[in-house]
Amino acid sequence: MKVLWPYVEFARTAFSREATYRVEVFTSIGAFVLRVYLLRSVWVALYAQNAAPPDIPLHAMITYATVALLMSLVLEVDGTRLIQTKLREGTIATDFMKPISLPLYFFSDGFGQTVFYALTILPSLALALLFVHVDVPPAPTLGAFAVSFALGYLVNFFLNFLMNAVAFWTLEIHAIQLMIRWASDLLSGQIVPLAFFPGELGTIVLNLPFASIYSTPLRIYIGNLPPSAWAAAMGAQACWLVLFGVAAAVIWRSAERRVVVQGG
Amino acid sequence: MPLIETRDLRKVFRTIKRTPGALGALRTLFSRETVERVAVEDVTMSLEAGELVGYIGPNGAGKSTTIKMLTGILVPTSGEIRVDGRVPYRERKRNARNIGVVFGQRSQLYWDLPLIESFSLLRAIYGISAERYRTNLAEFTELLELGDFLSTPVRQLSLGQRMRGDFAAAMLHDPRIVYLDEPTIGLDVVAKEAIRQFIARVNAERGTTFILTTHDLADVERLCRRIVLIDKGRLIYDGEIERIKEEYGTHRTLVVELCEEYPGFSIEGAELEGRTGDIVRLRFDRRTISADQLIRRVTESYCVNDVSIEEPELESIIRRIYVEGYTEPGAASAPQPASV
Repeated sequence: MKVLWPYVEFARTAFSREATYRVEVFTSIGAFVLRVYLLRSVWVALYAQNAAPPDIPLHAMITYATVALLMSLVLEVDGTRLIQTKLREGTIATDFMKPISLPLYFFSDGFGQTVFYALTILPSLALALLFVHVDVPPAPTLGAFAVSFALGYLVNFFLNFLMNAVAFWTLEIHAIQLMIRWASDLLSGQIVPLAFFPGELGTIVLNLPFASIYSTPLRIYIGNLPPSAWAAAMGAQACWLVLFGVAAAVIWRSAERRVVVQGG
Repeated sequence: MPLIETRDLRKVFRTIKRTPGALGALRTLFSRETVERVAVEDVTMSLEAGELVGYIGPNGAGKSTTIKMLTGILVPTSGEIRVDGRVPYRERKRNARNIGVVFGQRSQLYWDLPLIESFSLLRAIYGISAERYRTNLAEFTELLELGDFLSTPVRQLSLGQRMRGDFAAAMLHDPRIVYLDEPTIGLDVVAKEAIRQFIARVNAERGTTFILTTHDLADVERLCRRIVLIDKGRLIYDGEIERIKEEYGTHRTLVVELCEEYPGFSIEGAELEGRTGDIVRLRFDRRTISADQLIRRVTESYCVNDVSIEEPELESIIRRIYVEGYTEPGAASAPQPASV
């Protein structure tokens, strides 16, 4: 596994780098617990007004919101942000002078950070349980959730990759980043389950790639998707994954060409 | 066979034409008008393994562009290029295993991590064996005196420490060729000397080939026998430093310490360059008068305590070449050896 050695090291290095910012960790756990509490209050109030769809009872909704927040601890990590930083600082040239694949480097850096933040899930959850009750589904459902979550994680990686790669042409991607961020916050089901979108709009939103990131695994978790629908849902995730993966490969090739022709 | 070879290497950049001013900036947003800029033009050179060559030129002369093409991260517009038998841009990763790079202005160390962590990351990147890693690390730690700050995060290192770390980082995988871009910029005299000693030693003991681009000609004078001068993308000189010194360094300065201040001091055949108290500086052309003759003339008319001769600095010679352009002086002047 000598080929993978550098990438394992990149991940390990990213992990220990994140671990040096201790205050950051405690702040993020604190912020997490606060958000869990606020979301619970909001949902309890909304359900009291009968504003909810009939197929998601309150306890499932609170579980959904809390698990979504736990997922975000890991999904908000963006290893490909390195592209922007390196382009701006002009250090991307030195990376090209190394015998490594840069996309894999970005992925493993992000993965190392992910593993670190995954470790904060346990204490965050333990504290959150002081304020909310979280449903735990049976083992097969948990297993399906894990697979679906992994697929969503990869879709999220490629989405971030595509977004950050735009910097090769524009150097500045702040506006695009904001746009995608808004779209994905709203359309991925991170904040509000997609079942809240009415009629036609709901169908469209469920079929957008953003749904692969939060909505699909979460619907599996709370039992909103019956086991008979799992295969189709994960198939859709896999399709988006392949599509984004191919797009990322194409974009990367032309970005690389741009660097070698224009000098980065 | 030479280790590095280029023939008629040429690089043209195409950039979007910019119009100045706020309105102009708005127009640039939509215009597709491009301008071509020739960065490197017809550069032909070859380097043997083990050479230590100074690659010199003013800002924007095309030095970095050439280096980028040699490292394989830039594709030439036309011309040929071979590094250790490979075309770098076609085999970027293979070529990368063979080279090391040190940039004075940007570090390749990982900012948040202790120095030693950067090294072990590089060990993984290049797949360096445990044995080789241990020997190299031990040797570089000793030569560059890294011992005191191996476990300090890079962001806390002084510039001199960071540069020494960068040198070790660039060489852990035993590259055959090392490209140095302004490696001593901003360093103090002691740190500069440490770096220079390190380069000289690695070149001598390991036979590593170095290409050194720098503005500090003292680096070049101290380290290189051969220099390649480039200006506006074109090669204007490629050869030994001694040779251009011979050809262009036609003037010497004789520094004379007189016994007392002579107000009307002057000597035929030399120009009074400056005087402070009883020390006078005389500039002379060694083709018209030898140092020996000049000293005799001075001592015939004045009482002298001490004399010394200053060689022209490479810097002033090269400045002259950039201003006047390089022409083969040929047999026009028969240089005489400076004798005292």
